[in-house]
Amino acid sequence: METLGFLIDGFGVALAPHNLLFALMGAFLGTLIGALPGLGPANGVAILIPLAFSLGLAPETALIMLTAVYAGAMYGGRISSILLNIPGDEPAMMTCLDGYPMAQKGKAAEALAISAIASFIGSLIATVGLILLAPVLARFALTFGPAEYFALFLLAFATLGGITGKNPIKTVVAACLGLMVATVGIDSTGVQRYTFGTLELYEGIDFIIAIVGLFAISELLFFIEERAGSGKKKMAVNKLKLSWADIRNILPSSVRGGILGFIAGVLPGAGASLGSFIGYTLEKKVVGKKGYFGEGDPRGVAGPEAGNNGASSGALVPMLTLGVPGSGTTAVLLALLISLNITPGPLMFTQNADIVWGVIAALLIGNFLLLLLNIPLVGIFVKLLSVPPMYLLPCVTMIAFVGIYSISNTTFDLYFMVAFGVAGYVLRKLEIPLVPIILGLLLGPEMEKNLRHAMDISDGDWTILWNSGLAVGLWVFAGLGLILPYLVGPILRRRMKVTTAAAAGNPEGD
Amino acid sequence: MAFNDRIFGVLLIVLAVAYGWGASQFPEPFGGAEGITPGTFPTLLAVVLGVSSLYLIVRPDPDNAWPWGRTGIELIVAVIVLVLYAMLLQPLGFILSTTLAVGTLCWRMGARPLGAYLVGAVSGVVVFLLFNFALDLALPLGLLSFLEVS
Repeated sequence: METLGFLIDGFGVALAPHNLLFALMGAFLGTLIGALPGLGPANGVAILIPLAFSLGLAPETALIMLTAVYAGAMYGGRISSILLNIPGDEPAMMTCLDGYPMAQKGKAAEALAISAIASFIGSLIATVGLILLAPVLARFALTFGPAEYFALFLLAFATLGGITGKNPIKTVVAACLGLMVATVGIDSTGVQRYTFGTLELYEGIDFIIAIVGLFAISELLFFIEERAGSGKKKMAVNKLKLSWADIRNILPSSVRGGILGFIAGVLPGAGASLGSFIGYTLEKKVVGKKGYFGEGDPRGVAGPEAGNNGASSGALVPMLTLGVPGSGTTAVLLALLISLNITPGPLMFTQNADIVWGVIAALLIGNFLLLLLNIPLVGIFVKLLSVPPMYLLPCVTMIAFVGIYSISNTTFDLYFMVAFGVAGYVLRKLEIPLVPIILGLLLGPEMEKNLRHAMDISDGDWTILWNSGLAVGLWVFAGLGLILPYLVGPILRRRMKVTTAAAAGNPEGD
Repeated sequence: MAFNDRIFGVLLIVLAVAYGWGASQFPEPFGGAEGITPGTFPTLLAVVLGVSSLYLIVRPDPDNAWPWGRTGIELIVAVIVLVLYAMLLQPLGFILSTTLAVGTLCWRMGARPLGAYLVGAVSGVVVFLLFNFALDLALPLGLLSFLEVS
């Protein structure tokens, strides 16, 4: 049981007082980020990265804090789903279906508490899954050569849109744009590429600037366009009346949702949205006619919430073991790893064992912290929800400016950030997804390095890229990742739409 | 109508060609390259981007409407505010430029002007104090540098 030994060491790291303090702070900030409309988890984590640098945190502390933020954001997303009927992020969509009707019936406090417990169970199951699966996968990944890695990166891009994705070609376009930006600068052989002689570009474009610009600034522009400055009407929160029977009632749903969510999170191309969708439909099937889904059934809150949180912890598995993130927020966490000079991938489990296991232990502890934070303190988050976006978003923008400015103390980076923000706005209007761009920025150098190594090994023979069974398998899956959305995507998307539309229509009907 | 994707596709092809041409101009690395030169990976990217932008032109998605008129002007104003904020951060100092930038953004998003600039000023002062004293990071004081204590 060497895993157990590592885990105990990890607890030693995570329970150090300053790490615990930052985990608590991260959990609080994360819940806040998840709850506030207009501040998605990827966006929130991105803004906090430069701040973590300027605080001069040790790598494990920074990573523990931001992982806590990540976990917290998943908890927070449900608050606005239940009270405002707007999901804090996409996977929280399914929580709206029964959460908002519960709030309309005057059971908002119960809905919040149930969803917190379900989130806790989902995350717990998935974290245990992560502990069991990650070392195995990391050991397996050690057999990967450069050719397999190159194929794996392609797989990551191809499946990023998910099988519910709309237009896979736009994912390809986005990935190319990101990879192109990543080639700017001096390459490993010392040749200047696309620098146009500008000194600031010699070291390449800092992906943190690009990420913050793409997410934070474009979000501000979208809010201005939608004139959503004054916010939406919020449901009142009643006094909590929750009995053991209520909790027992949702336990099976939460466990099922958590397991399904974890699987969906680990698999490339499924993601948290699909995880919570499957969680919801499965609950509906299992409970059958006895349920009243869509009209405020607590099990309809618990299932997808557990699924959503399970998936977000599951998504950490490929990120930690292979260095290939499956979602926007894990991509941002990968950005943090790279900027801390930690090479993500299987070697991290041997070279930086204290950091990896510290983070995993912190995830477990963070879950308990979040449950404690979320049940008694939910009132604070609810109050903060009533801060209208017209004050909130300019302040968030200011924090983004401060963070980027504090990295290098130059204005040049700020102009770059604004430019990325405008580009992000235009691309979102064209429905070009932003996450593949970021993944391209992050993985570009690694991808080229692996291609180079593969070619060095084979003396310039391109067939090495598909010479091993494993590599062929990865290529096939990558191909499927691009083709399946055309075949299965329309059906799945129609089903998701029907489910949400039917449930959205119900509250007015009764 | 589907103009957006077509126009974007054409722009992307121009980009792909320019980028690919750029890739062919890189000098050969010293000692000759075995399989891969600095230009190989960019050339691959240019080809993939070119092919997929052709697809965008042939099979475009339906358009999202662009915000013409007043909303468009508001957006341009916001971008100008952000650029000016970046430009004035050092000369005016953090507190003054933040008051102006955050205040103007809040106001344009629908807050009353007085409240908006008040929020700007308060957030500027709070973040400044937080960074300079709690986090030990010097943000520029600019015009207010006469307030500097140490």
